[in-house]
Amino acid sequence: MTNYIIALFLGVFFGFSLNKAGLTKYHKIVNVFRLTDMAVLKFMMTALIVSMSGLYFLRWLGFVTFPAAPATYIAGNLVGGLIFGVGMALAGY
Amino acid sequence: MKTIIAYIRKEEWSPYVAGILLGIVGILAVWLSDSLLGASGAFENLAGMIGKAVAPNLFDNLYFNFVMPPGFNWSLMLFIGTFFGGMLGAFTSGTLLWGKKDAANPDEQWKRIFGPQTWKRWLWGFIGAIILEYGAGIAGGCTSGLAISGGMLLAPAGYIFIAAMFASGIVTAMIIYRKRY
Repeated sequence: MTNYIIALFLGVFFGFSLNKAGLTKYHKIVNVFRLTDMAVLKFMMTALIVSMSGLYFLRWLGFVTFPAAPATYIAGNLVGGLIFGVGMALAGY
Repeated sequence: MKTIIAYIRKEEWSPYVAGILLGIVGILAVWLSDSLLGASGAFENLAGMIGKAVAPNLFDNLYFNFVMPPGFNWSLMLFIGTFFGGMLGAFTSGTLLWGKKDAANPDEQWKRIFGPQTWKRWLWGFIGAIILEYGAGIAGGCTSGLAISGGMLLAPAGYIFIAAMFASGIVTAMIIYRKRY
């Protein structure tokens, strides 16, 4: 139960940050593919760097153990990513 | 304090600040509940739940039995929170369009390129979302579940996915925008 409350709480902040970064807007998503507005990329990479360095630091301190990372199967990730990009550029979400 | 409140009320944050917030959320998800952030999986759990109720034979397959078992879970709860978090974000900046004019098709750039028809926006959104979710199903995650959550654990899958997603996204944008690219 506590786990669900944590999920709800984290979800609110997740949605909030997406909204404030402008990722809920069509033109933000499409313009990153037109290479005219890099906000989406800046947002994604900042999040990646912060969480990556934070998690590896916490693991070094012994506070966390990593959950199973998403499986790598090159063909699936690649084909899935290619299809995903088409959908993302069309829908803009 | 005043500057903080003023910043929260701003419609568009610096992507770096918003990115730091998301990064912290990503850390807390692992730390507090040993889970990874994700957005697309919840749709599949939900679809599985509906499908099992409506057409149990059709949904009795490997994917819905083992890969994405239906049922209420952590990521679905996260998804509900995300919905309200997005609303909260729009509400604090005063741009919540609930019940307002143009709420169904608010984007200026879309209207400039494709015309003002709302049905067109919805149709393309629908088609695009089907393609997007299908791709996410094959790859095993979406921008948040695979690119960010996988990337932060240094899983190669995340980086392959990011590269593929941008490659095809750029090509698709070139095709639909043509001279206006």
